Amino acid sequence: MRSKNLTVNILVVLALLGLSIGYLLPIYVMLMTSLKTPAEITQRTYLIPSANLQFENYTTAFRLIFPSLANSTLISFAVTLMSLFVGGLGGYYLARTRSTFVRILFVLVGIALYLPYQVILIPLVQIMARTRLALTHFGLIASYLVLNVPLASVLMGTFFLSIPRELEDAAEVDGASKVQIFFRIVTPISLPAYASVAIIIFTQVWNEFLLALTLSTPLTTTIQVKLAEVKGSYVALYNLQMAAALIGVLIPLGFFLLLGKYFIRGILAGALKG
Amino acid sequence: MEVDIPQDTPRETVRQRASRFGSRFLEGLIFLGPLMFFLIILYGMLIWTIYTSFSAWSGTRPNYEFAGIKWYNLMFGLDRFWVDVRNNLQWLVLGVVPTVVIALFVAYLLEIGSIRGSESYIRTLILYPVAMSFIVTGTIWSWLYQPDRGVFNTILRGIGLDSLTSGFTTNPSTATLWLIVIFIWQYLGFSVIILQSSFRTTELQEMIEAATVDGAGRLRILLEVIVPNIRSGILVLVSLLLISTLKVFDIVYIVTFGGPGYSTDVLAFFMFIATFQQHLVAMGAALGVVIFLMAFIVVIPYTIYALRKWFE
Repeated sequence: MRSKNLTVNILVVLALLGLSIGYLLPIYVMLMTSLKTPAEITQRTYLIPSANLQFENYTTAFRLIFPSLANSTLISFAVTLMSLFVGGLGGYYLARTRSTFVRILFVLVGIALYLPYQVILIPLVQIMARTRLALTHFGLIASYLVLNVPLASVLMGTFFLSIPRELEDAAEVDGASKVQIFFRIVTPISLPAYASVAIIIFTQVWNEFLLALTLSTPLTTTIQVKLAEVKGSYVALYNLQMAAALIGVLIPLGFFLLLGKYFIRGILAGALKG
Repeated sequence: MEVDIPQDTPRETVRQRASRFGSRFLEGLIFLGPLMFFLIILYGMLIWTIYTSFSAWSGTRPNYEFAGIKWYNLMFGLDRFWVDVRNNLQWLVLGVVPTVVIALFVAYLLEIGSIRGSESYIRTLILYPVAMSFIVTGTIWSWLYQPDRGVFNTILRGIGLDSLTSGFTTNPSTATLWLIVIFIWQYLGFSVIILQSSFRTTELQEMIEAATVDGAGRLRILLEVIVPNIRSGILVLVSLLLISTLKVFDIVYIVTFGGPGYSTDVLAFFMFIATFQQHLVAMGAALGVVIFLMAFIVVIPYTIYALRKWFE
């Protein structure tokens, strides 16, 4: 339904311009600000690059947030790997079995998927404090795992639903068990799906703030908590805030720019569109 | 699967049937066991919170003595609670409707425009915020919004539009609206790709062809052919956006911290403050329950749709 119509294309150009300004300006200003000196920021010349690019801002910011980057990397990787494993198994069963029990389970998973974190925050803090898990990375890893396993199950299940069953049926006739079929046949051909779900879960955990804010201790501070702290304690040092924020988005943004196809597939799977 | 059952056995023995049931059970346990383990913890915590909301717990030490609806009564009597409800409703309406409408037009323009490369360019351009956290987005926008030295006001003054400068998030009556703008900015690309994918069914494309041949205008095609036929796509998108606006916490925390006063406060933020700063834990739990109930209502149509689609 492509149109050669002039009005349509004028509208497209207008949208192109409007959206370009709306979406490039913030990131441009961010980049420019991150390379300025505090004195230059007060001069209010936001669109003009600094005369003397301050790359030290990045070294300073990096030194400031490095421990939290390491914490977030560890936590996000651990949660992603474990929830993929559990979610792959669960999602496969949900996608391949038709029984009342599975239907009920699906509804429970569906509600869990969108459970506001506020409603489990108090018990979670109690458990973490009493078991002293909050003092280690396991506390946050376990908490995120509980919240992301339902998501991983549904996302993986959506992908499994779109795989034709012939191969599995053939293997079943040959006497393979469901577990063997899953690990030997389904898993190898689902690696792209695992990649998509991994990116979504990783980004979600990396970007999560509320749980991290309430559960992290000085030793386990995540990147988002640290960034909020930087914003709060370096109020006027916008250059440092921006440099830190840019370093903080590097990993998820890198996933998006380099593996955009998987990223989009993951989002669409979340919208149950396969 | 039961390879060891001889082919010529006419009927299974009780023992064989039992062993088949056993292996089925074991199979279910391997696949669903871990998932169910986490679900039980999750729902256990949900029940725990509901119970806490009826307890007498205020202060740092847990106190599960039953107090009935005392804290609910107190909560409903607070002015702040009703400000939050009003703000949450603003978020629900203004965070969702404009996002869906703008996304619909952008998605449609991307489909019908014929400028080479414009589609993939715009998709990347407006989608990059999905990779960023609200903390990062909020940090950038705080800088854009900053009243005296911030980017927007400086640019407006620079091009002589002083009358358009604004206090943005420092003006209590409009602060929430400016926060919602950030949300729309962040979720637009996400919305566009969900809608775009629902445009691309063969049936819909054929209907559009037919309407075009009949001489229907572009706008009429959008409103009368496309919109009614992507209802499920819109349902999914609206549900996801409603849930996201309902849970909104990060933007408020990082940009205004609920202020000025509590003009930008929302239930999710109040829950956090009540529980962890004021130590009114039972009331915090009650706020959590209110948020859960709202989310639950929003999710029902979506869950029914998902259930049908999954088991069709």
